[in-house]
Amino acid sequence: MISESFEYHVPKTIEEALGMIGEFGDESKVLAGGHSLLPMMKLRLASPKHLIDIGRIGALRYIRESEGQLELGALTTHFEIESSSLLKSKCPLLPETAREIGDVQVCNRGTLGGSLVHADPAADWPAAMLAVEAEMVARGPHGERKIRARDFFVDLMATALQSDELLTAIRVSPLPARTGDAYLKLHHPASGFAVVGVAVRLTLAESGSIGEARVGVTGVGAKPYRAEETERLLAGKSPTAKRLEEAAAHAADGVDANSDLYASGDYRKHLAAVYARRAIQRAAERAAGR
Amino acid sequence: MSAGSIPNSPVGSRVPMVDSFEKVTGAGKYADDLVLPGTLVGKILHSPHAHARIRRLDASRAGQLPGVFAVVTGKETPVKYGILPIGHDERIFADDKVRYIGDNVAGVAAESAEIAEEALRRIRVEYEILPAHLDLEKSMRAESNLIHDGRPHNIEKEYHHHFGDVEAGFKAADLVRFDRFDCAEVTHAALEPHSTLASFDDDGKLTVWSSTQVPYYLMKTLAATLEMPEENVRVIKPLVGGGFGGKSEVIPLELAAAVLARKAGRPVKITYTREEVFYAHRGRPRTIVELKTGVRRDGRLTAVEGRVIQDGGAFCGYGPVTMLYSGQLLNALYDIPNVKYDGYRVLTNKPACGAMRGHGTVNVRYAFETHLDMIAAGLGIDPAEIRRRNLLKPPCVTINGLRILSYGYPECLERVAEASNWSEKRGKLPFGKGIGIAGSHYVSGAANPIIRSDQPHSTVNLELDGEGTATILTGASEIGQGSDTVQAQIVAHELGIALDRVKIVAADTARTPIDLGSYSSRVTFMAGNAALAAAREAKRQILNAAATYFDVPAERLVLEDGRIFEAGNRAKALPLAQAVLLAAKPETVLRATGSYSTPAEARGGKYKGAGVGPSPAYSYSAQVAEVSVDVETGQVTVERIYAAHDCGKAINPLTVEGQVEGSVWMGLGQALEEEMVWKNGRLMNAGLLEYRSASTLDSPEIRPILVESADPEGPLGAKEAGEGSLAAVIPAVANAIYDAVGVWMTTLPITPERILKALEEKQRRTGS
Ligand SMILES: Cc1cc2nc3c(=O)[nH]c(=O)nc-3n(C[C@H](O)[C@H](O)[C@H](O)COP(=O)(O)OP(=O)(O)OC[C@H]3O[C@@H](n4cnc5c(N)ncnc54)[C@H](O)[C@@H]3O)c2cc1C
Repeated sequence: MISESFEYHVPKTIEEALGMIGEFGDESKVLAGGHSLLPMMKLRLASPKHLIDIGRIGALRYIRESEGQLELGALTTHFEIESSSLLKSKCPLLPETAREIGDVQVCNRGTLGGSLVHADPAADWPAAMLAVEAEMVARGPHGERKIRARDFFVDLMATALQSDELLTAIRVSPLPARTGDAYLKLHHPASGFAVVGVAVRLTLAESGSIGEARVGVTGVGAKPYRAEETERLLAGKSPTAKRLEEAAAHAADGVDANSDLYASGDYRKHLAAVYARRAIQRAAERAAGR
Repeated sequence: MSAGSIPNSPVGSRVPMVDSFEKVTGAGKYADDLVLPGTLVGKILHSPHAHARIRRLDASRAGQLPGVFAVVTGKETPVKYGILPIGHDERIFADDKVRYIGDNVAGVAAESAEIAEEALRRIRVEYEILPAHLDLEKSMRAESNLIHDGRPHNIEKEYHHHFGDVEAGFKAADLVRFDRFDCAEVTHAALEPHSTLASFDDDGKLTVWSSTQVPYYLMKTLAATLEMPEENVRVIKPLVGGGFGGKSEVIPLELAAAVLARKAGRPVKITYTREEVFYAHRGRPRTIVELKTGVRRDGRLTAVEGRVIQDGGAFCGYGPVTMLYSGQLLNALYDIPNVKYDGYRVLTNKPACGAMRGHGTVNVRYAFETHLDMIAAGLGIDPAEIRRRNLLKPPCVTINGLRILSYGYPECLERVAEASNWSEKRGKLPFGKGIGIAGSHYVSGAANPIIRSDQPHSTVNLELDGEGTATILTGASEIGQGSDTVQAQIVAHELGIALDRVKIVAADTARTPIDLGSYSSRVTFMAGNAALAAAREAKRQILNAAATYFDVPAERLVLEDGRIFEAGNRAKALPLAQAVLLAAKPETVLRATGSYSTPAEARGGKYKGAGVGPSPAYSYSAQVAEVSVDVETGQVTVERIYAAHDCGKAINPLTVEGQVEGSVWMGLGQALEEEMVWKNGRLMNAGLLEYRSASTLDSPEIRPILVESADPEGPLGAKEAGEGSLAAVIPAVANAIYDAVGVWMTTLPITPERILKALEEKQRRTGS
């Protein structure tokens, strides 16, 4: 299908973009890589009258380290993340997650910010963002604010970002010592999105038992979540296969699971437990090697 | 004469297809690429109801919209049609009733797609909604609100065959086993959506360019439904982007474009959206297969009883043929002395099913080959071995009247067993890994035409000019399978000329001789034989002329590399071009015709339904699948497929391997993920994202193995290669899953959730 007609704007700076968002309000949409928005427009699930293409704002596209934190501009593409040597050494979970996303075209055009704001329940990034406790940096008419990942994802395709705000950056902390991470995903056979995706960051205490484990889960419910019961059961325990399995079994506790033609809700919950166990296992092995 | 004896012959060599250049460069024209001056866009109004009576239809507001040139409704299209003479139950546009969501209610032709869509929105239809028959097993018991008149209990057709005496066979058996299989409905998903351009000239003659596998039947149906003489209808098939059976009967848009063009007085083009393609469908029906088989302790089969129910959708289509193939091919791969078959084709309020690659055989073959492995497991016989113990002994005629001359099945079984190292692996791989074997076969063309007639199935005209160039005129339809290439190779081979000296004009009913079309894997065998006959006739004329020139008997002459010489005396040669002119005198073009009709002995028995199933020759396949199963997630990974196919003679090994690989892929899609999911008559996955076909990225390693049994009646020994391999892959995978994790998968597709469920049940049963 062809989208409804719209007016196309190309701001050069963040301020200009914010000005346009303020001016056109609810009739407008921000365009980043377009790999989620344009399909929605073609299906006429979205019909903005004004399209504000932030794709040329260079100030939104970078990966850097500052004040001991890693910071990614919202416009950073999946491929840039996948191929960043800085991230490979300091936060390998992000390149590992990027590798699992879509195809070459999607990776070259799709952006981290776009994916997070779109908040597709089967998107990959949210799991990783939860596991590394990322911080989203938002700019709006009243200035800048930071939103914790666990507060950012509100519901199916809904986030804490206000409609007059722009997501400008994502901040994550680098991998601490004795810490390993991992992202494991079951690809939907046609779309490639996550039927279930589990991201883990796990730190071992000096004793070799688990200090802290953070488990982000995507694909299972309407919104991505932290598997809190699993995390609780892991803390302080030694990472034996049995313990991991017991803890992972709770990875979808209380979740009202999605169901589609490919996977029923029950199957998704079952997969969440299997993938959680495998991802935790892998993260623990990596932590032991550091 | 064996092909190998001619040096430099393109036959047997891996030449690229003759139309590959235009396809690869994008220069080739498919139906939707064609535009004539003044072409309008045609659109069809589809029914939103699965079953409803049309109370009132008012299209006047659509016609008043500026830019709309024609609006046609069911009142103007009274003639019924259908691909089978016994099944004329469709109309271009419904008159009184709609029978599925997507049924065709009216058509418009307008200057643009937007205007045409607006015009559709302006058509008012008042429906009286009728109870819809959506469940196969309930529909066949229905008493009221039936889908068609004259079809009690919504049963389109039933067949009951009994050969030998199954009761006696079961008595003689040591083991009698019963199993039930359920196969989901699947569709072709050809990449090119259906597209048709129709145009009338000033004399009222119609030309239609369409993405069709059957230009000849389309021409006949256009003439019948538009009530025109056949000589005024011309059908041209441009490049076709895949058919797989979905374009092997007349599809509503082909007729709709023509009636709209007639009314508008301008050319009209209709191209289906992907959603419309899914609703036009004509794919493989959901099929329930029940098998009861008797077997002796040594593995010899004594009797088979099959009951097959197919959910045919709202119209007859190819239904009775599908039903018959399911029965006729049930017992024709093995030697089974007693066979009973009960087949029911049931109508439901869904799009009609039809022919799809491996037409009629695939689901029954999956069921039988899996069932056979279950039997082998029960007897403790190796699955490859039980197949060996039940082979036919050709030449022979099966108990239901199928004549079999060449039979490469035993060799196929041996070759895949050897290539896969079967005996080292079966039953010996670690838990979670498995290997399975299965066989299949298919016709090399239906021995009997769809419309009864005494004329040849294929005719090929050949013209040679004074430069030694040969032009083939053939009605055969290239749909990507290599139809044109095979005919060109055969002619080049026979005339001793290079492949690029052969031109081909194909599938234009005004210019090319009659050919029945691309269905039932008939083209290489039938059009190939016609091309071979035409080339031999041309060669005879040429050698006769050359014999006069050399003053030696024609039998002493050799035609090779574009030259004619006396055997053993290459030095004194007559160029072919010159010989052509001598032979053609007083004309300057030499013409020869060849045709192919099936021999009477190959046309089958005399009982009701005997006409479907017989073929002049059958292809054979055996496949071994290696899989791994993740027992925690139920995910199956197919690691490798060894696919041996007996194609008689590989005229082009490259394209035969391509067909085998394509069949394997398509079969894997059906085995593991494809299913049309219906809810209240609506298709829940009418798009390529939701309807999951395997892509190239999903392909396991496929090792094609070509077996050449040299059929005595095939062109240079060749048989079919495009369909037979599909059916074997599904049971090979199911049997490999059993080897891997010990569960029998009797429902298609074999989804991860079904695997997990089967594993749970097994655990409950055995406690292990
Ligand atoms: C074929 C295909 C396969 C895919 N497979 C996967 C997959 O496997 N896994 C996966 O996770 N994703 C997948 N995607 C989605 C892909 O990752 C998208 O590119 C991504 O989700 C959106 O990023 P974008 O830059 O294209 O955003 P856009 O489509 O441009 O925008 C998406 C939404 O975010 C808003 N937006 C964008 N940037 C900002 C910003 N800085 N501030 C405020 N609002 C903003 C837009 O207004 C819009 O509402 C796939 C997409 C396609 C087409």
